[in-house]
Amino acid sequence: MADVDSAVKEAVVEALALDDDEVTPDSTIMNDLGAESIDLLDILFRIEKSTGVKIEASDLGDYIQGGIPDDEFSDDSDVITAKGAEQLAKVMPQVDPGEVEGSLKAEEVIGLFTVQNLVDMVKSRAAAAAG
Amino acid sequence: MPQPPPAELSFRVGVDAIRVQRLQDVIAGDFHRRAAVFTEQELEHCRGRRREYDHLAARFAAKEAVLKAFGTGLRRRMRFTEVEVINEASGRPRVELGGAVAEFARGHGLHQLDVSLTHTDGLAVAMAIAVWERPCAST
Repeated sequence: MADVDSAVKEAVVEALALDDDEVTPDSTIMNDLGAESIDLLDILFRIEKSTGVKIEASDLGDYIQGGIPDDEFSDDSDVITAKGAEQLAKVMPQVDPGEVEGSLKAEEVIGLFTVQNLVDMVKSRAAAAAG
Repeated sequence: MPQPPPAELSFRVGVDAIRVQRLQDVIAGDFHRRAAVFTEQELEHCRGRRREYDHLAARFAAKEAVLKAFGTGLRRRMRFTEVEVINEASGRPRVELGGAVAEFARGHGLHQLDVSLTHTDGLAVAMAIAVWERPCAST
């Protein structure tokens, strides 16, 4: 399997037609790099091709929420709960739970997903597949 | 007999645009990629049509527009194939929901959903409007 860090970066660079130095581990894929849904699909397809790790777009939300039901991850106004914030800090360590709890909307979370978060997810999937 | 409309309705619109060539670049010639985004019925509807990818791109835009109108994006377990664009005999598009997307719609009181699609000059655009029977977290 290709080196995951390199494979993810290459997928992002190529899918978004960016220069190599424009993509850092801390870059958020949607907010910073401007990826749209079709770009996200392209990135995931490219990662699958180079690493063999299949990730569907719907898996991203599942990975981020970590199995927490929607009504526990966010409140009636769709704002992240304490439980949701705690989960976010696990898979997106750059997120400060104290800052997002009670202020960040669930639909905004994907915008904070970084290149490094995607690398970690691919590695996690690869490890799970390897048993 | 027609049912009276619920006393309280709220609505939210969603709109999306995509370059046809961009979609074609991502999914052309790869069955698994096409099947990750479109249902067999959608693919069959567009297959062999003049400007096949214009029609597919409009459907992709519709899926995005619906998810924007729901305020969810691709939340956990939601798949693009769970928002299916069907053409009625008149040619008017309507949306069939499945899986986690249908579950979300039921749980949040979706009353009505309508979409409109268009494509021209290499660009496909869709608009969706979702009407909810009660104030929704996403509206």
